[in-house]
Amino acid sequence: MEDIIEELEEDTQKDKYITFKSNNEFFALELKVVDEIIGIQAITAIPETEDYIKGLINLRGKIIPVIDVRIRFKQKPFEYTDRTCIIIISVKGTVVGLIVEAIAEVVNIPSANITPPPSLGQGMSKNKYVYGLGKVGDSVKMLLDPEKLIRDDEIILLEQAAKDAEITEGSDK
Amino acid sequence: MAEEFNTDGMVDMYLFENGQLLEQLEAITLEQKDSDGFDEVAINEFFRAMHTIKGSSGIMMFDNITKLAHKLEDVFYYLREAHPDNVPHLELVEHIFQVSDFISAEFDKIREGNDPDGDSTELVAQIDEFLERIKNGITDSGKEVPKENEYVAPNQFYIAPVSSSESHFYRIVINYKSDTMMANLRAYSAVYALGEVAEDLQYIPEDIASNEKSADIILCDGFKMLLQTQASMDEVRNLVDNSSEVDTIDISECSIDEFMSGFEPASSPVIDLESDVNTIKKREIEKEEKQQKKKDEPVPGDYVIQPKQPGKPKVLAKHNEKKDKQQSFISVSISKMDSLMDLIGEIVIAESVVLQNPDLQVPGLNLSNFNKAARQLTKFTSELQDVIMSMRMMPLTNTFQKMNRIIFDTSRKLGKNIALEIVGENTEVDKSIIEHISDPLMHLVRNSVDHGIEDTPDDRVQAGKPAQGKVTLEAKNEGGKVFIIVRDDGKGMDPKKIFNKAQENGLISDKMVLSDFTNKEIYQYITYPGFSTKETVTEVSGRGVGMDVVVKNIQQIGGRLDIDSVEGEGSVFTMKIPLTLAIIEGIVLELASSTFVVESNSVKEFFSADDAEIITEPNGEEYVVIRDEYCPIVRLEQQYHLNLERRVKSQGIIIVLEHESQKVCIFADRLMGQQEIVVKPIPTYIKKVDGISGCTQLGDGSLALILDVGGLIQAERS
Repeated sequence: MEDIIEELEEDTQKDKYITFKSNNEFFALELKVVDEIIGIQAITAIPETEDYIKGLINLRGKIIPVIDVRIRFKQKPFEYTDRTCIIIISVKGTVVGLIVEAIAEVVNIPSANITPPPSLGQGMSKNKYVYGLGKVGDSVKMLLDPEKLIRDDEIILLEQAAKDAEITEGSDK
Repeated sequence: MAEEFNTDGMVDMYLFENGQLLEQLEAITLEQKDSDGFDEVAINEFFRAMHTIKGSSGIMMFDNITKLAHKLEDVFYYLREAHPDNVPHLELVEHIFQVSDFISAEFDKIREGNDPDGDSTELVAQIDEFLERIKNGITDSGKEVPKENEYVAPNQFYIAPVSSSESHFYRIVINYKSDTMMANLRAYSAVYALGEVAEDLQYIPEDIASNEKSADIILCDGFKMLLQTQASMDEVRNLVDNSSEVDTIDISECSIDEFMSGFEPASSPVIDLESDVNTIKKREIEKEEKQQKKKDEPVPGDYVIQPKQPGKPKVLAKHNEKKDKQQSFISVSISKMDSLMDLIGEIVIAESVVLQNPDLQVPGLNLSNFNKAARQLTKFTSELQDVIMSMRMMPLTNTFQKMNRIIFDTSRKLGKNIALEIVGENTEVDKSIIEHISDPLMHLVRNSVDHGIEDTPDDRVQAGKPAQGKVTLEAKNEGGKVFIIVRDDGKGMDPKKIFNKAQENGLISDKMVLSDFTNKEIYQYITYPGFSTKETVTEVSGRGVGMDVVVKNIQQIGGRLDIDSVEGEGSVFTMKIPLTLAIIEGIVLELASSTFVVESNSVKEFFSADDAEIITEPNGEEYVVIRDEYCPIVRLEQQYHLNLERRVKSQGIIIVLEHESQKVCIFADRLMGQQEIVVKPIPTYIKKVDGISGCTQLGDGSLALILDVGGLIQAERS
């Protein structure tokens, strides 16, 4: 029974994307990674971290780090207003809030309408968060890879190294 | 094998109980490993433990465990009955460890939901051979070999009633202790045990295997069985009394007619109309006396041991006094404890939200009743906290005992003679900390045995030390922290060697010289990944992974590892770990419009910066003079690049913090007050910031960062 419900849930979320505006561009995130959307809150800054990590928020007793998507994209910071939202996403157990200028809407993008971004070699690094371009009517939304968005390449490498060390450690015993 | 039934929920019970038995068994073994043989109590204990494991594993149909436990049970059966004095004790100890390791490994598999598929055949064969050898030793000396402890594979449960002239009929009532969990399983194991000898067997309640509610009936009315068997009453009793939870066993012989008529007469009192009152009373008294007598008889668990033969002196381990097991415990799942802990954390926060509510700040409000109630509330919440804390506290005894085993194993593997001394094992720490220190401690102990203690006793004698090496494990409380110390009296470490190695590996730049560092700092380099001065890699340690993992594990729980050593005299590894992780008393302060919390324990004093004498070195380092003492100042706003707008540099409040007798001062704009704070870890997503150990929710719901004084001092020095 539970399986069926789960399947249904998966189905209803399939091809659904939440879109938000950042610097006049529209981005899209798969609906299934989104936990909830909240208004802007008091953020406690953490010193000496990456500049795009704005700090911590307290969401009903849970401490959640938030990152500013604009700064993450190396664009000019923007002033937080009432329209500013925090999208809480959870990717592989990591819960992170994304500060975005404004939420647009939830759209349906069938996989047929998604094309990978054209690659011109040197453009790679800039495209790394975007894994596809989705066509909705006349407009194009950039589909974001949430994992790449919240993680530094460096961190991924570090984690890999730590995992390797653990493996050798395990065999050492 | 037996009838199929649902094992959900039983597995946990099975693992829990037998796991405890194994632990007990190991503890006894370790305690007596150095004597010439096990004492009677120990042998009986082993026998019982193995018997129980065998029985319950049988029920769960873990054949390999059953076989192995049975084999070891055989050995102890033999030891108990024959009192052989040619037992190679160490070999026996080894066998016990092998068996307990094997079974533990199988338990792990079961716990993870896998099939316990380990093959015990080889172990069984080894123990068999071992048993043969002791036996032969005795037959050679002309003694009789006692009858073997026959194990009939319990293939069938129900054997149709066979009319046999020698058959006895018994009515059996087993009463379990009132706090017995899953009594239906106990009953099932009794049925199982009787399956070996039963010709016919009926029992009430009948649905013990499938119906958990039957446990209640059993606890209430006792478990009743009717048995037809060739076995004697004592044999039956022996089979049934297989668990410590059995309170009383009542076995009475009955006629075949009674047997056939079932349980009725037993379960409802017979109304005796023919006999007069006196006869009935007499009968009852007789019955009581009978029961009394039964209680006085030795319970089969307390096996009677014949006095040892004269003229054969034998050193037995110290006779253990039976430990009082009367203290009552319940086991609660950790996750429930954790959520209780979380809840209390939330209550503490909610309390401060209420008590510091801005609505109360209205001038001229009469709050005397409110304040009275508030004080009451504060008192109770803090008591509640203490209680839950103490519930989570556990002595380190078990953790330390396990190290005993590690020392035994590794020292034997390396051919070293090492004794373990344990000091302060009753020190209590939070359960979650115990889980985290077990692995690092194991590593440190192994390191001490392998790297610390000299390779041969001769080396030690030459150095003027006793031939036997010594590793000391010590635990103590100091200033809100637990110190866990691993000390060895081995060869110690050569700072020069470590320094060279570190330079070789590029951990220290070539420009630095040895005198730039204190010895303690040099020793820290052994905790870097890939660092091992041991020339050869051994099975035990020396691959260079390990120490860094140890340090990482300790840091994870907010602790640190101090290393000290004197060459030729030994090394000391000290883990300094916070006593609890959860709630601390903190002082809230504001600096450059950020809020920080610092643990009250580490605050020595604070005073206004206006009165202070501040000395600034040309390179910018600052000191404040406090009663002729110079204390370095850490400017948090500089270290954390905070935006300092409205304050002149020399204004504010100076807070003197102390950590392990090192002092450091910080500036604050404003002190906000003292409150209980619930430490929450900073999400791992954010990389560790020096000097910040966590965050907490303040009374108004906002977050503040918790300053880690030790980390601040370290960051300042580097």
